[in-house]
Amino acid sequence: MTDMKKRPTAAPKPVGHVTIADRRQFLIGSAGLLGAAAFGAGTSLGIGRARAQSRAEISFASAAFFGKETFGDLIKAFNESQDRVLVKNIELPPPSSSTEVYQGLVQQLARRTGTPDVFSQDVIWIAGFAAAGWALPLDEYFPADKRGAYFTGTLNACTYGGKLTALPWFMDSGMFYYRKDVLEKHGGKVPETWADMATIAAAAQKAGDIDFGYLWQGKQAEVLVCDAVEIITSNNGAILAPDGKSSLINQKGAVEAIQFLHDTIATGKISPQDVLSWDEEPSRQPFTSGKAMFMRNWSYVYPIAQDAKASQVVDKVGVAPLPSFPGGKSSACLGGYQLGVNANSKQREAAIELLTWLSSTETQHRIALNFGLAPTRPALFQDAQIKKEQPFMASLEKVFTGATARPITPEYAKVTLALQSGISKALVSGNVQAEMDALAAQIDKIVG
Amino acid sequence: MWALLLLTPAFVSLASVSFYPIVNGLYLSLTNTSLITQEQGFTGFSNYVELWGDPQFWNAWWHTMWFTAASTVLETVIGLGMALILCEAFKGRGLVRAAMLVPWAMPTVVTSKMFGWLFDGQNGIINYILLHAGLIDQNVNWYGSTDTAMITIIIADVWKTTPFMALLLLTGLQTVPNSLIEAARMDGAKGWITFWYIRLPLLMPTLLIAGLFRALDAFRVFDLVYVLTGGGPADSTETLSTLSYKVLFSTLQFGYGSAVSTAMFVTEGLIALVFCLYLVRQIRRAG
Repeated sequence: MTDMKKRPTAAPKPVGHVTIADRRQFLIGSAGLLGAAAFGAGTSLGIGRARAQSRAEISFASAAFFGKETFGDLIKAFNESQDRVLVKNIELPPPSSSTEVYQGLVQQLARRTGTPDVFSQDVIWIAGFAAAGWALPLDEYFPADKRGAYFTGTLNACTYGGKLTALPWFMDSGMFYYRKDVLEKHGGKVPETWADMATIAAAAQKAGDIDFGYLWQGKQAEVLVCDAVEIITSNNGAILAPDGKSSLINQKGAVEAIQFLHDTIATGKISPQDVLSWDEEPSRQPFTSGKAMFMRNWSYVYPIAQDAKASQVVDKVGVAPLPSFPGGKSSACLGGYQLGVNANSKQREAAIELLTWLSSTETQHRIALNFGLAPTRPALFQDAQIKKEQPFMASLEKVFTGATARPITPEYAKVTLALQSGISKALVSGNVQAEMDALAAQIDKIVG
Repeated sequence: MWALLLLTPAFVSLASVSFYPIVNGLYLSLTNTSLITQEQGFTGFSNYVELWGDPQFWNAWWHTMWFTAASTVLETVIGLGMALILCEAFKGRGLVRAAMLVPWAMPTVVTSKMFGWLFDGQNGIINYILLHAGLIDQNVNWYGSTDTAMITIIIADVWKTTPFMALLLLTGLQTVPNSLIEAARMDGAKGWITFWYIRLPLLMPTLLIAGLFRALDAFRVFDLVYVLTGGGPADSTETLSTLSYKVLFSTLQFGYGSAVSTAMFVTEGLIALVFCLYLVRQIRRAG
């Protein structure tokens, strides 16, 4: 259910379980923590302990991301930066096991004991947590005039029922990859509409420059919903009505968009039939081995494409916002983890302090450099150090501006299963209108 | 009294790990328990009414039955063939017997990944071989087409579990007294006749028990589907295990999910019953 799951470069895709490497890293990490704890106990017997007792103790739970450091190190830095709050880090499974992370969070939050005080959540869980009353509304701490520093799309995803229930942290989104060298031969202009994209792709395919015109992800999985959200929104369509109580997926905008996806395989033949069983990695492989012209994927692909050991297309790949339909606007499906405060937290002030620190410009800057996770503050994309060390990330500001949330509803988990099944049926059978009618009826039943 | 007391630990441990979860699952299936909505009310049989009218459930039910039947029959037939060969004395038999078990010893997730590559639509070796042998004129999209996805999963399962069947049947074959076979040979019976009138009837109980094991196991198929297709395309490989996993752990509807699991439990019970009836008939006839 995650979008950030393929972040570790070329790592095998773990299947709902922690991989051996993760486990090993975890063991090393916990051994380190034990050592640190022992050391800490030894040195803090005197004055340090007296001070620790007056600090508000809270806990922070998050999926475990790794980079040059871990979230544990981040929390340690926070604990050392001030003497009012002491945070205990609760490590959940890595984002590749997002179903397990979800279960872990739900179990803790449902107990309503106030643990964890602060947590990070995948964008698609925000509405559910808010509707269950587990997430503290943050409006009084972050009034509207303070929110201008974040991307609008991310703020929308953090808002449920008119209230801000999560604070933006880091993000990813779908984007349009293209082969600069092949495009040069076919006009040299990055297509801005889907029709142009299809024409160029077909021409390049016909000329024998590449095997596949356009690669996307049609596997019956969460990523299919992401691909669908992007193309539907770029045709001024939507999956749910603005009030979230009915479905618009059988309306003209959405049906045309899904029809386009179907046609890339059936009539245009710019996409191989295999995309129907491909998620991110299978679609990435032909692209980085130089067989495809265009591809929709997440930001994790770029470092792989630039790695000479794994890629045939080093320095030949460009990234742009996804195309749109005439009269529509380019749209990118939003992913990433955002911060929330437990509504039952007994240490609200301390929790807000941690939240503010984690989402601050300085910390987002540090996360961008050390974890390679993109900030949710547009201003950071102009930062000189980020531009130097993460030039690709810095170039994504335009892509992220079009970031669009997936349907915001507390019933998202049910809606997404219905969408995956219904859209997959439409793509396979080609009876788009009929399948979308059936799907809309099903979604109306879930959210109505 | 003392004897009962001595039995208590065994009873308590069995009750807590086996009896309690089943009863609790049955109870959950009669409630609308959901971690997300925080409801936990008793709703009688409404989950089952919903289940009865749920096309997703019946879709998954038929797929599971089809998968179970196809894989069990194929594995039994091929496994029997393998067992008959391995029963004969030949050079290196021990080695072959051990090597045969390798597919079965592999973790299913590894098998799944392996078959994912073998049957890959673009770079898979199966397509390559079929294409060069002239059997197909263009690459087949094994997992992306509703026509072939389930068949491919069945092939993977047959490859993985046939050795297990062969092993069970081999032990069965070895209990057939050699004297009977020798006697038949002296009477002039050829290989086929010996098999049909002596070995097969005596093997029948083993065959039924092995088939029962296999069918119940196949009914729970999860890892292959989860790794290879996730239930797609267009729900064409959705099985009861993957469906109940989605309902239970993705949407956290413990009530409805338990109803799906209970329906699985009941279906498995029925399958077991059919096998047992045959088995009893076999034993009666033999006795």
